[in-house]
Amino acid sequence: MRVAEVERARPLLGTFVSMRVGGLPPARAQRAIDLAFAEVQAVQRRMSFHDPDSELSQLNRQAARRAVTVHPQTWRVLARALRIAAASGGSFDPSVAPRLVALGVLPAPAAELAPDPAADWRDVRLLPGFRVRFRRPLWLDLGGIAKGHAVDRALARLRRCGATTACVDAGGDLRLFGPEEEAVALRGPRGRPRPVVWLRDGALASSAVEPEDDALSGRVLDGRRGWALAPGRRVTVAAAQAWLADALTKVVLADPPQARDVLARCAAQAWLHTPDGGWHRLPR
Amino acid sequence: MHARFVLVPLAALAAVAPPAIHAATYLTVAQAQALMFPGQRLTPDFLDLSTTQIAAIERDAQVKVLTPQVRAWRTSGGGWFLADQVYGKSELIAYAVALDAAGAVQRVEILSYQEAHGGEVRLPAWRAQFIGKHHGDAMHLDEDIRNISGATISCRHVTEGVRRLLSTWALVLAPQAHARG
Repeated sequence: MRVAEVERARPLLGTFVSMRVGGLPPARAQRAIDLAFAEVQAVQRRMSFHDPDSELSQLNRQAARRAVTVHPQTWRVLARALRIAAASGGSFDPSVAPRLVALGVLPAPAAELAPDPAADWRDVRLLPGFRVRFRRPLWLDLGGIAKGHAVDRALARLRRCGATTACVDAGGDLRLFGPEEEAVALRGPRGRPRPVVWLRDGALASSAVEPEDDALSGRVLDGRRGWALAPGRRVTVAAAQAWLADALTKVVLADPPQARDVLARCAAQAWLHTPDGGWHRLPR
Repeated sequence: MHARFVLVPLAALAAVAPPAIHAATYLTVAQAQALMFPGQRLTPDFLDLSTTQIAAIERDAQVKVLTPQVRAWRTSGGGWFLADQVYGKSELIAYAVALDAAGAVQRVEILSYQEAHGGEVRLPAWRAQFIGKHHGDAMHLDEDIRNISGATISCRHVTEGVRRLLSTWALVLAPQAHARG
């Protein structure tokens, strides 16, 4: 039997963020959820590409000229993004923002220096003292990885508040824990068998390359080649943490064969749906 | 990380073919008021907008006004609580906005969410077939599958709704409250 749970949702991170918590008296559950939402807001404040006052925007404006000190959290998320970029040979690349701006997916930031078309993730230098310096002008977008990180922070907060079950869902990135497995239904094509993933303590992220006419938010870029991927693929990744699951969805969409190795090294699993209608498990 | 993937055959879902609905209720209006303005007294200040006011709000917010009714409460601390709904492409979202005395947004909470999609899975209804078929007795047989991954819902409509409410506050609610003293 499940203990009484409290669930709330707020519009944050450009999507709906919902949180569910169990094992706490109602007032403490509401307080825990408030604190967890505050974690999400803090991540949004620091790492939003859309907010000109965020630390990320500050980096995009200034880090090509001088080293900029950021919050340790921002620095660590950047370090993780660069780790996945390295592991995937650049098919995940947090510096693809200029091309996303060109496609109209992201708004153009007010930058003093135009981004160098030749710049990529290797031009981001993480320095001691939580400082960041770009070797060439570039625009970073932490998009999905920051969203996943926000989910991780919120869930950790709910856990620290004494929750025995909790689930945080931010539009595609979901993390939960509890004593029992829970089912997560995946969005799939209509008229086909329905995919469901069971997990007990972990994260799921889903990402899809939507058909052209279906919202710009479905655009995914291959970091190495710089072009938008052909539509029709969708993927769900299960990993220990939401930031990792989210980043790995991009790696799988860009290059499924190469992703096998990266997934295995990250102890993650992926299920890829291809336009022919099949679901493929990675790594096998 | 242990996770198991299951494809549920459509046959298991055939009995629940009618239009699917994913719905969630998070807070009642009273619960949201207690959370957003703890310990304060809230007085309803409902009103119907005139056509002139609607035109002014639409011009100011660049958002269509869907209903003339405004569900507003004044708080004993001078703030405002506004309950509203927006319609997306296929969803109905009820939400509440807390404003401070100066009309600045303090918080936005989703009250309820209802998504209607022809052909999608109606989650609450298919649990019995699904769990019975694919999982052992250890599972919580009475639970719904409440989690969905990949449901990327834009909150654009709520953002527009908040903009409309801010215009409503600035052009109608605040001047009226001021006139009344």
